[in-house]
Amino acid sequence: MINDPNSTIAADLSITIDGQSTTFSEGETIYEISKRLQKDIPTLCYDDRLDAFGGCRLCVVEVEGIRNPVASCTTHASDGMVVKTAPPKIEKMRKTLLEMVASENRQVDVDPLRGLASQELSTLVNKYGARSGRFAGAKSGTTNLQDANPFILRDYEQCISCYRCVRVCAEQEGDYAITVANRGFDTQITTEFNNDLRDSDCTFCGQCIQTCPTGALADKKALRSEELPEEIKKTRTVCPYCAVGCSIDLMTKGDKIVGAQPAMEGPANKGALCIKGQFTYDFIQHEDRLKKPLIKQADGSFKEVEWDEALKAAAKGFADARAKYGRHSIYGIASGRAPHEAAYSMQKFIRAGFGTHHIDNCSRA
Amino acid sequence: MADATNEELIEQWKNQPAPLLPLLHAFHDRDGFLSDDALRAVSDGLKTPLADLYGTVTFYHHFSRTPGGLEAPRVCTGNICCMRGGNEILETLKSQGQAATEMPCSGRCDEPVPVLTGHTTLAGTSADNLKPTPSPLPAPYPGENEECLFSNIRKEGHNTLEGYQANGGFSALTKTLSNATPEDVIETITASKLAGRGGAGFPTGIKWNAVAECDRHPKSIVCNADEGEPGCFKDRTLMDYDPYALIEGMIIAGFATGAPRGFIYLRYEYPETNALLERCLAEALEAGLLGNNIQDSGFTFHLYVRRGAGAYICGEEGSLLNSLEGKHPFPRNKPPFPVTHGFEDKPTAVNNVETLCAVPHIINRGAEWYQSLGLGEHPGTKLISLSGDIKRPGNYEIPIGLPLKTLLYDWAGGPLEGRSVQAVTMAGLSGGFLGHQILDDLTLDDPCIRSHGSFLGAGGIMVFDDTRDMVKAAHDAMAFFAHESCGKCFPCRIGTQRLTERLNSEPNNLSHEAWTEEVNDIGEAMKATSACGLGMAAPNVTESLQKYFPDQVEASTNN
Repeated sequence: MINDPNSTIAADLSITIDGQSTTFSEGETIYEISKRLQKDIPTLCYDDRLDAFGGCRLCVVEVEGIRNPVASCTTHASDGMVVKTAPPKIEKMRKTLLEMVASENRQVDVDPLRGLASQELSTLVNKYGARSGRFAGAKSGTTNLQDANPFILRDYEQCISCYRCVRVCAEQEGDYAITVANRGFDTQITTEFNNDLRDSDCTFCGQCIQTCPTGALADKKALRSEELPEEIKKTRTVCPYCAVGCSIDLMTKGDKIVGAQPAMEGPANKGALCIKGQFTYDFIQHEDRLKKPLIKQADGSFKEVEWDEALKAAAKGFADARAKYGRHSIYGIASGRAPHEAAYSMQKFIRAGFGTHHIDNCSRA
Repeated sequence: MADATNEELIEQWKNQPAPLLPLLHAFHDRDGFLSDDALRAVSDGLKTPLADLYGTVTFYHHFSRTPGGLEAPRVCTGNICCMRGGNEILETLKSQGQAATEMPCSGRCDEPVPVLTGHTTLAGTSADNLKPTPSPLPAPYPGENEECLFSNIRKEGHNTLEGYQANGGFSALTKTLSNATPEDVIETITASKLAGRGGAGFPTGIKWNAVAECDRHPKSIVCNADEGEPGCFKDRTLMDYDPYALIEGMIIAGFATGAPRGFIYLRYEYPETNALLERCLAEALEAGLLGNNIQDSGFTFHLYVRRGAGAYICGEEGSLLNSLEGKHPFPRNKPPFPVTHGFEDKPTAVNNVETLCAVPHIINRGAEWYQSLGLGEHPGTKLISLSGDIKRPGNYEIPIGLPLKTLLYDWAGGPLEGRSVQAVTMAGLSGGFLGHQILDDLTLDDPCIRSHGSFLGAGGIMVFDDTRDMVKAAHDAMAFFAHESCGKCFPCRIGTQRLTERLNSEPNNLSHEAWTEEVNDIGEAMKATSACGLGMAAPNVTESLQKYFPDQVEASTNN
């Protein structure tokens, strides 16, 4: 019985995949088990953070006793199943499917700056030798260049209707900002009433960009650096904006930071980011960025000073305020961007240093 | 009477079961289209995300988003209606300044061409003789056996409660509620070998038993009355002239499976049927045949009509259930099957109209009687919707196993004078074509039809005589599948489009060999990997075209 939790005894259930026997737990799909066995089953609509959808059909496998191939991503394993993941007949149909998908797009190759998963289609097309140009015909999807938002390029001529964007928006973000309009070959990803993203419930978290397997949804900011000749280098770091600690890969070309991508294996975010971590890095190399402390002069202008002098001036300001108005005139607010340790130091500084409990954190608002 | 306000409409529906479709229809009917304001109100009222709702509304062919859309004429340009002047009517209406649009086969192939405007079906052979036309009754029985489903249908007044009861109606229900257990009913239905008449042919008794055995509640009976297969119009006739048989069958199904509620999911294109069913349900409720404690038996069954909005895929049971639940009507991944995880994830029997209508007859006259209605080993009867180049198109109730020739020539009068049958379709369009070569061999039962690479399906048979261009017929069939492909899976979404392009009359750069290879590779991938029956069946069209009409294919590809 599907609903009986007591039946989940892994050791009792076994499956044979490509001749290899293994055990599995009730509820596991053929795809998940195959992945564990390092089988390289191709997919385009799959994102392991999302409910399996069964749209691209590339993950079909042969199951003994079942006439048609089954989608391994949506089919739960059952005891005694015998599966072949890549018999020649299946591999041929995968190639056909990839040729079909390639035929509906303007191009197969896109700049990797477009997004984290943007190379999935071209990688598979190369692997399966599916650059035949067969199945030529009408292209699907209408690119929306009118949407003037600064973050997300909506290049739907590259869309293959896997709906990963719509699903990540609903299932991961809970935003339901985008949707599948029309049907069949006329399917189009859009917002309610076909509006621009900024008139929708979009929060510009960029998750749709990063899960898109063709670059149809693309990182507009990163693409500003498309013409820079250097290779993209990725550096794993932690987003500084809040205390969650999302792992991100900052992308650089030479000395220039050109974009950010979420780290799928980041323990705090598992591939999620918000608009800040995703898009807000320009300040790092901005010409207006403060690199030295400034002290405001009597005439209102700022004077550049060394750190010692700046800290002395700040300490004197605190001491003067306490002397004149008492210890409760001091109020410390920790930035929401500060991690626990920094927030702890702040309250210690205010409580022990000034003797007041006037502390707070900006996240509380 | 003033129109209901947004709030009143939402109040009326929001606590009803399966509220989205009827609420959208209420706004559509009130305003004549679905405005942005209406969608916002529905989104607020049902707490459903606006973007989702917008996407779902655009999925359906008949929900109009422009003022006046509801009343704008929709002209059937299905395969048969194209042969009867559908396109010409469409062009004439347009030239008269009307906002006419085309619609896929709307289930009136027995008396074409239907034009839907508002909630009225007009029919005619040209734009100047269109008039409201009730659906045709089946012709008097031409066979030698006995009918089951059509045994009472031609009797005057049979579609009223009094008429139905005068002809013995509801005696099966009374017998069931007073004398039988649910197990008895399931046993009888299983023994009758009644099988799904929507086309899948799954044994009804086994399906009901699976629902009955599942201990999760509340269960549902869902009648698939979406009859979207081109060339199929049998369910319409049953519902128009024997609606209480369906209602009685559903109540018995509810009793057998332990389901306290049922839904009739009716296709949009049958507005008169919709009104009739609503009236019948109200009268049955009034008469104590529906609702709480039916005939003092302690059994309660509530029945609702839910009107679709124009989508062939909603005849696929997973899509139908999603549509009923107000979700985007993509097919569901199976397993789990509806018998355990159906409407609102609870056990659900999804049965076709014809299947359910047979139930009261079987209860009344017994499993053995029903089985004996077929020829040879084949149990029971099947409704066939016959259309196209034939003297007497219409619905026929055949004993399963009847030779196709008997149906075509003896029952339906054969082809028009001076012509001969070139091809017939099976299962509407889903079974592809059978060439005249097989006419002598074919009997109308699945083992025989499948041995020829096709299947009986819902029982739609279109006839094409020797004047027809079969490549064009195949193109029109594939264009239908492309129009109706839901867009969920790649092979169907792209494949139906590419096959349509390869069947159109525009020149392309493909040699005959390259054409054949492309068409067959696409077909193979579609058949093996599509997510539902639509994509699996569509390549039957190209496969059978090449099998039976290679000369016509060669002539059209060597351009």
